[in-house]
Amino acid sequence: MKSQGGWVGKILRVDLTSGKISEQSTYDYVPRFIGGRGLGAKICWDEVPPEVGAFDPENRLILATGPLQGTLAPTSGRFMVLGKAPQTGPVESFCRSGVGGHFAPELKWAGYDAVIIQGKAPKPVYLWITDHKAEILDAARLWGLDTYRTQQMIWKLHGPKTRVMVIGRAGETMSRIACILTDTGDASGQGGFGGVMGSKNLKAIAVRGTGTVNVTRPKDLMEITHHVQKLFSRKSLRSDPYQPEEKNFKYNIWGGGYGRGGLSLLPGELLDLCNNPSSGYSQTPDGCFACPVSCRSRVKGPDITPGVAFCAQSYMYLESMVHQPEKGYSKVTWQAAKLADLYGINAYELMAIIPWLSDCFREKLITEEEVGLPMKEVGSWDFIDKLLHKIATREGIGDLLAEGGQRAAAKLGGKAEKLSHMYYPRAGKFAGYREHWVYLGGFPTGYAVPQLALMWALDNRDALVSHSYISTLWGAAFSVGQNALTAVPEKIIPVLKPVMKAAYGSAEAAEFVQPDGKNLNWKWAAPVVKRYHEHSLLKDCYILCDILFPFLFNANTPDHVGDPTLESRIFSAVTGMEMNVEDSYKIGEMINTLERALAARDGRTRKDDNLHDIYFEKEDAGGRKYKREDLERAKSDYYRLMGWDVKTGIPTRAALEKLGLKDVAEGLEKRGLIKGNGNFRGSE
Amino acid sequence: MPKEVNRRTFLKGVTLGAIGLGSVAAVGSFLEIITFPNGQKVALAKMVILADKSICSGCRVCEIVCANFNSGGRNSPSLSRIIMEKEIIGGDYQPKVCHQCADPPCLKACPVTALQVEKQRGTYARIIDERACIGCQKCVEACKQYFRPARPRYDAERRRSVKCHLCFGEPQCVKYCPLGVLRLEKSDKGLMVGYPIIQED
Repeated sequence: MKSQGGWVGKILRVDLTSGKISEQSTYDYVPRFIGGRGLGAKICWDEVPPEVGAFDPENRLILATGPLQGTLAPTSGRFMVLGKAPQTGPVESFCRSGVGGHFAPELKWAGYDAVIIQGKAPKPVYLWITDHKAEILDAARLWGLDTYRTQQMIWKLHGPKTRVMVIGRAGETMSRIACILTDTGDASGQGGFGGVMGSKNLKAIAVRGTGTVNVTRPKDLMEITHHVQKLFSRKSLRSDPYQPEEKNFKYNIWGGGYGRGGLSLLPGELLDLCNNPSSGYSQTPDGCFACPVSCRSRVKGPDITPGVAFCAQSYMYLESMVHQPEKGYSKVTWQAAKLADLYGINAYELMAIIPWLSDCFREKLITEEEVGLPMKEVGSWDFIDKLLHKIATREGIGDLLAEGGQRAAAKLGGKAEKLSHMYYPRAGKFAGYREHWVYLGGFPTGYAVPQLALMWALDNRDALVSHSYISTLWGAAFSVGQNALTAVPEKIIPVLKPVMKAAYGSAEAAEFVQPDGKNLNWKWAAPVVKRYHEHSLLKDCYILCDILFPFLFNANTPDHVGDPTLESRIFSAVTGMEMNVEDSYKIGEMINTLERALAARDGRTRKDDNLHDIYFEKEDAGGRKYKREDLERAKSDYYRLMGWDVKTGIPTRAALEKLGLKDVAEGLEKRGLIKGNGNFRGSE
Repeated sequence: MPKEVNRRTFLKGVTLGAIGLGSVAAVGSFLEIITFPNGQKVALAKMVILADKSICSGCRVCEIVCANFNSGGRNSPSLSRIIMEKEIIGGDYQPKVCHQCADPPCLKACPVTALQVEKQRGTYARIIDERACIGCQKCVEACKQYFRPARPRYDAERRRSVKCHLCFGEPQCVKYCPLGVLRLEKSDKGLMVGYPIIQED
């Protein structure tokens, strides 16, 4: 079937081994799998069996946009990179990584909903895509260049409006923690897909499109966009506000908007310089495509590498703030993050590797001579410069660290491995991702929340990347005048009740602590996490921003109730296909089950949905603990709700068939993972 | 009193110029200036979009909302009448607006007088009459002599030139710009803006 709006209708397939470029129809997959994560999961199911390793030529590198990309839809600048991820460990498995910036709309305007890259080029190449054409071009002169320089070279050749996804030195040396970077800092980090690009000898993907993405109901789209803008932004950046009635406006994302997600949260040398108009340094807002918020800032100055500042990237080397407390967030902190960008190393992973290395050094498990790094000087420029160079070139200890912190820790074994558990919460064979927030959403420094533990046990990467649930908690904390880490559950639970009722169907779901205050309440963990997964899958299929959507907590109304219908309304306006919220949740459930089937095919079972001991040992600020038996019970509840086998955690045939995934059921049966027809076992 | 008005409008012009919007000047009584050799006159535009690029985040909402609104849901920056020029690594983002020139090169170049001054809604914007346009792109070429990229765009699908018409007095890019970079300057006396006051941009 052909829809009028949203998708542009073609998927580009590039076989680097043979140099063959072909096209296929997007409508083979959509509207059923919508786009993004759903589209990628389906392609991986069809084309990437468990026998294929992440660095094998047969692995697919999928760049998938959704129906909203390239349109006015708010925050539609994002897309997903998918495939078998080298970072998932010790078993490589399907994973996804979202990227913001301006690459996705350009790809849509060039006429492609997705790009599938397979095979391995005999020599370094880059891919040039423009208006319904694609070419594989020689990249001998680009190989070895840093990420900025490569882009500048490509802009010289193809014009400055070309958007480029590029790998640096780390990707070329097939590091498992290499990112694919675009512009000055938007990157697909988690998953290690930069290494996959390197394994295919693909240096860059350059796109320039002048085409069109049609919107079926442009007026509706404008209305809803205006509505979203009113929720998230205000036009009063100047001293003279345009809309004075918005004086008491509270930002609906933590950190705020207008570049406040960048440096402004971390005072220090660099922020002072940026705030001084005569210094030559400046910090101005920077937005992804069609973003109403512009949470990042672009920072420039005479002796620093210019670029975009946000979360992981700018906070990567906070050790330097301890090293030079008088300077706070200094030029060293900034340059460290930019150096990681230039080498194309995933900053999130470095946020685990650096503290873990210093833990190991403190415990005398490694010596300076062994690692060849100035371990006494963690936080200095000398340390980070050497560390990043070693990782990017795989020299000495860098060869080990380029495999990712978890794999490195496993190799060292013993106490070093134990120490790494603080940063890599998930136990089992499908771990390898750093905690997205510091220690499970504040725990053990703040309060423990059963939902967060269950999310972590179940996800296929760092679980809290969809910020919806945690920003609801944090929003509640801010609204009672507390900060995210020190909030007391008893104070925020009353605020959360109406919010949770609208978002998860029951006000009771807010009570994550028992009335006695001594124990955690696990009753609502499974249903809340199921809905959370549906929300985040849909958001990643339409492809909207992790931070803004789903919009569950409104800081500006007395009851703080958000609006989970926004995404489906945007989708309807763009594609002209009616989508109500309940139906969309069914699609979310279907894609969640498909992703689980992919993991199950790679060998994931219930045993792998687990956390390390350390998370069950510590008490939170209220003296509460996660208990293993509670987590196990919540897992059973979750599997039962999803229709998965409670013993194994593998989707049952009945569930798969109900969701219309008969081919998936057959695939699992062929591998002996589920029983055949008629032999369906009960849930327990 | 007329003198007073003159001074105020003049100062306004100076202020606008000072915030990097290009020189803008207003004249009191000269509402019309001579543009054609035969003496035909073009009224000054009464509205113009101004951009303060120092706070622009480069999100391109202006471009895409323009295309969505004015090109019937065809979302493409190739069709937008406002153009975002970016220097990514240096971090210089510039929304390029149509200046609604006092002496419009595009209007003079049109061989079929499809380019007209909009008077019905009182914006006095330089607009293209879609029914009359033959798609010769002479307006695009004429604008390109001074302003790059050219502000009129060519809609290849419909074979017509399109240009900023201030959305009948309520420019959508101004309404949707999330950071307040763009704003609408109005003057009943007409604004002495664009060519020949600014000769390149």
